[in-house]
Amino acid sequence: MLSSSDIKVLAFAHTLELTTRDTYAAAVARKSLGDDERALLEQFHANHVAYEQSLNGLLSKNAATKRDDAIYTSFNAKLSESQNIWLALLEIENTMIVSHTKAIETIESAQVAALLASMITVEARHAAILASQSTTNLSTALDNNATALVAS
Amino acid sequence: MSTFTRRELLRLSGVSLASGLVLAACGKQAGVVDDEAIAVLGQSQTLKPLAEAEVTDAVLLRTAASLEYNAIETYAAALDLGVLTGDLRKVVEIAKRFSADHSEHADAVNSLAVKLGAKEYRCSNTRISETYIAPALKIIMADDNPNQAIDIVALAHAIENLAAQTYQGVVALLTDPMLRADAIRIGQQEARHAAMLAQILNPGLKNVGPTSDPQTGKPNIAAVPSTFGSLANIQLSIGEPKPDGSRTTLLLETPSLNSLVYDFVACEA
Repeated sequence: MLSSSDIKVLAFAHTLELTTRDTYAAAVARKSLGDDERALLEQFHANHVAYEQSLNGLLSKNAATKRDDAIYTSFNAKLSESQNIWLALLEIENTMIVSHTKAIETIESAQVAALLASMITVEARHAAILASQSTTNLSTALDNNATALVAS
Repeated sequence: MSTFTRRELLRLSGVSLASGLVLAACGKQAGVVDDEAIAVLGQSQTLKPLAEAEVTDAVLLRTAASLEYNAIETYAAALDLGVLTGDLRKVVEIAKRFSADHSEHADAVNSLAVKLGAKEYRCSNTRISETYIAPALKIIMADDNPNQAIDIVALAHAIENLAAQTYQGVVALLTDPMLRADAIRIGQQEARHAAMLAQILNPGLKNVGPTSDPQTGKPNIAAVPSTFGSLANIQLSIGEPKPDGSRTTLLLETPSLNSLVYDFVACEA
């Protein structure tokens, strides 16, 4: 049984995953993508769908019901402003990683923290691959200077 | 239904008691002296009681530190081999950067362990070295192995996966939520290392996700092999190909009760 504190933190993580899922859906719809590029982004999108669904199952009736429109707008702005879709998605994945890590700092349940950790390690892999599509700079692929989003 | 009467039961218990006294009198209690007249083959060792081994947050952090040194030693071996040339020349810079990252990680987790009152641990994990890395290096460096360069990258990839899995795994075991976050902060960078090395071993966007070898059915190396971070054992295929095309496969597992760096384990370096 989740504590009320854990529910609040997890519900926000769920909102973030819903938002990222929709951001990837928008990215996949871009006509400029090649077939392999689209397949890659579809895989990453599917992973975020799985994260959203696992958090939904965990939260049950306390699950978030929709994305955060303000964050979605800011994520989409990164996609449209950036000349490079890969770097924009990299920034979004990095934001997810630091946000989930911040959530782990306060989550009481070790098992729930472990679930988020299992998402973080894969989002980090997404980040490394996204970086490698646009640069050979190792630091871009390895370092994460994004700012965490936290529940208000 | 019992057919014993109360009198018979009392008599039987008396007989049992008397038999016990006779047997006891034949033993050491009766002052029998060992004269070592009965020959015994070999010598039995005196057993030392095992030290108290408690799995604490500090033990988990010291174990994570030990894996960082396993990784550092693996990259040192990779660079010393001198086989990272040609197309794999770029791996030299990657190995140097990743090794530096592991050095920073070791400092970070040791610092956390010290804050908990434990001693820092600045050696590689002996069991991981002896069970996985040393045998792998022996296979890789064999004269008849035509794939030394790519195999050393495969070993590094396996060790990075091992490190990422270890940090991910300890999140469920650490009692302090802040330490869980600290652990996965490092673990996520190990996962990035693994993903980048996977793309060297099996390049191309088509190979980022899970695929399998059409001939053997075995999973190919992938940068993002699963939707959630796996804690399953890690397959490392290296060495000279056998006639059927297969190669020696080692299965690596994250440190367990027999390879944790407990409080009483001292660094021998």
